[in-house]
Amino acid sequence: MTKKTDVLHVGIDLGTSHSSISASNGGRHVVDSYVGWPVDMVARRLVKKPILFGREALDSRPMLDLRRPLERGLIKEGSERDELAVRELLRHLISLAGGREGQPIRAVVGVPAEALRVSRQNLRNAVKGVADALMIVSEPFAVSYGMDALLHTMIIDIGAGTTDFCVMRGRYPTEEDQRTLTNAGDSVDEQLMTLVRAKHPDAQFSVYMVREWKEKSSFVGEPSGPVVVTVQKAAKATPVDITSEMRRACESLVAPITETMADLLARVEPEYQERVRHNIILAGGGSQVPGLAAAMERALADYGGGAVRVVEDPVFAGSNGSLAIALDASEGDWESLAG
Amino acid sequence: MVESDRLKRRVLQGAVRENVETIRGLPPPVLRVGAQLRRGAIQATLLVALPTLGLLAYNPLSGSAPDRAAVLATAPAVLTFRAPKAIGPVTASLGVKKLVLDPGHGGHDSGARAEGVWEKEITLEIARELRSFLKRAKYEVAMTRDADSFVSLRQRAQLANLERADLFVSIHVNSVPSQECHAVETYYLGPADDPRAEQLAGQENRESGYQLADFRRLLEGVYAHVRQAESRKLAQVVQQELVTVLGDTNPAIRDKGVRSAPFLVLITTESPGILAEVSCLSNDDEAGRLADPVYRQRIARALFHGIHAYAEARNRVATLGQAQGASR
Repeated sequence: MTKKTDVLHVGIDLGTSHSSISASNGGRHVVDSYVGWPVDMVARRLVKKPILFGREALDSRPMLDLRRPLERGLIKEGSERDELAVRELLRHLISLAGGREGQPIRAVVGVPAEALRVSRQNLRNAVKGVADALMIVSEPFAVSYGMDALLHTMIIDIGAGTTDFCVMRGRYPTEEDQRTLTNAGDSVDEQLMTLVRAKHPDAQFSVYMVREWKEKSSFVGEPSGPVVVTVQKAAKATPVDITSEMRRACESLVAPITETMADLLARVEPEYQERVRHNIILAGGGSQVPGLAAAMERALADYGGGAVRVVEDPVFAGSNGSLAIALDASEGDWESLAG
Repeated sequence: MVESDRLKRRVLQGAVRENVETIRGLPPPVLRVGAQLRRGAIQATLLVALPTLGLLAYNPLSGSAPDRAAVLATAPAVLTFRAPKAIGPVTASLGVKKLVLDPGHGGHDSGARAEGVWEKEITLEIARELRSFLKRAKYEVAMTRDADSFVSLRQRAQLANLERADLFVSIHVNSVPSQECHAVETYYLGPADDPRAEQLAGQENRESGYQLADFRRLLEGVYAHVRQAESRKLAQVVQQELVTVLGDTNPAIRDKGVRSAPFLVLITTESPGILAEVSCLSNDDEAGRLADPVYRQRIARALFHGIHAYAEARNRVATLGQAQGASR
């Protein structure tokens, strides 16, 4: 039997935009969920690596076959290359955790709920072999486990590809307890791109630039100041004010999220609905949008009031929860999950 | 053990169990079975036609098929046919891998119009989104059209048959004289069960490319295979998903249930199939929603979840059938 102390337990949050790992040796790491292979010999010589990850891959993208494998919360298009990208990304994260040579690894991987729902078997095949034993769970479940919020709680995990909802009722969540929307970070990017393009048809900018603008300046409600970004117009760097476009794009999340939240609430036993309403937790990168939690609380006023709080550490909330699951699972559990 | 530890152990056991089942190759449960249906403001119809219906009709998942039935095409003639002999469940071990999506109308045949939005554009956008969802789940997908071009019903059926699709899904948007068009409907191949369904089939059967001489053969096609039971199952799952998912956005939706009608495009395709009138352009609210790409994507997602749930159930039967065959 393997002693628990001999094993490296890791919790991984495999996200559309960012992926993080929390390890039992105390290691915490996060990378952008990009994987890239040099497109040819010249590129390989220039980047000096057979494969690149995260920001490094993004910065070298003209020379790479660049993959963001969990687009819209799913492994993209059934592509073998994207499955390989998922596998390589996990290997990279585990290598960052720095286990000892030959140390057994037990991993719990949190994925977008939609990926688990649609391609459970494919996902397992894709990540096979990256650890000695492996458990895959949905991200909102991992977050709730890590926060000990397993009863009368709703987790809303706003990622890049999807927004996952999960009501915890003291049991492992079923389909009935979960919802997924594609109104999430990427849809905000798309909307912002469309709005800025409509206002400045001569401006040149890429989706990567839009993503950076959003990460730096997103907001819901009244702006704290103007949002001014730089675009290229006829090869000339030009500042443009995108305050109203940013607001509209970010606020496009509010209605679908509150509607879905209300729908899930209505399915909770009536005697517990108030408790759930006052125990709503926002997680994921989208939880950091200033004003979003307050907007949702305002919407909850129509249902009798409620409280929305944001996880303290959105980057590692999922991977910390996955690590907690990994550490709590028994020896027998892990034996049944080996291979 | 304190109560909070017991609680953690219970939910953790659920996660372990789900993973062990996946390792053993057991499929996940069918999506949201028994979800509450909500009432709302969309008129949606879905027609599904399955080319191998005869084989599918008597699989272990299906109910019994009718042995006699009346058939009505676009013409008012009513004919009766005897259903073929039942086929055993092992023969029915056929999985779902390939789908043909059929965005209704196109080119000069614009379909319904409201608020500057054409049916032909909406059906194409929804079909493209649906294709994207299906491909991500590793289905093979072909489309009868992928541009604003006219394709006759005859050509659509020929393409579906040529592709040897396992399922055929035709997507349309309804338009009725009344502004009170707030229902979701899913159609499968069969006789019209009310005058409105008959009228709708007549509308959608225009621009078919078929001659009167073809009609007898076409009508025989309705019951040449007893495919209704399987088509109805697919239609039911899709209808449930449409009502549930669209009801999340639009609480005014009214569930009109699953219905049958003799749509030519379903009669002539050889595969099992459905035809979906996924919304109602003559309703102003709905026309506004349909102009929103997020709403169209939501419709595509609902269609996907229904089709995927059905296909997973079929593929389970197929795997079981193969395993039984191998053990003999």
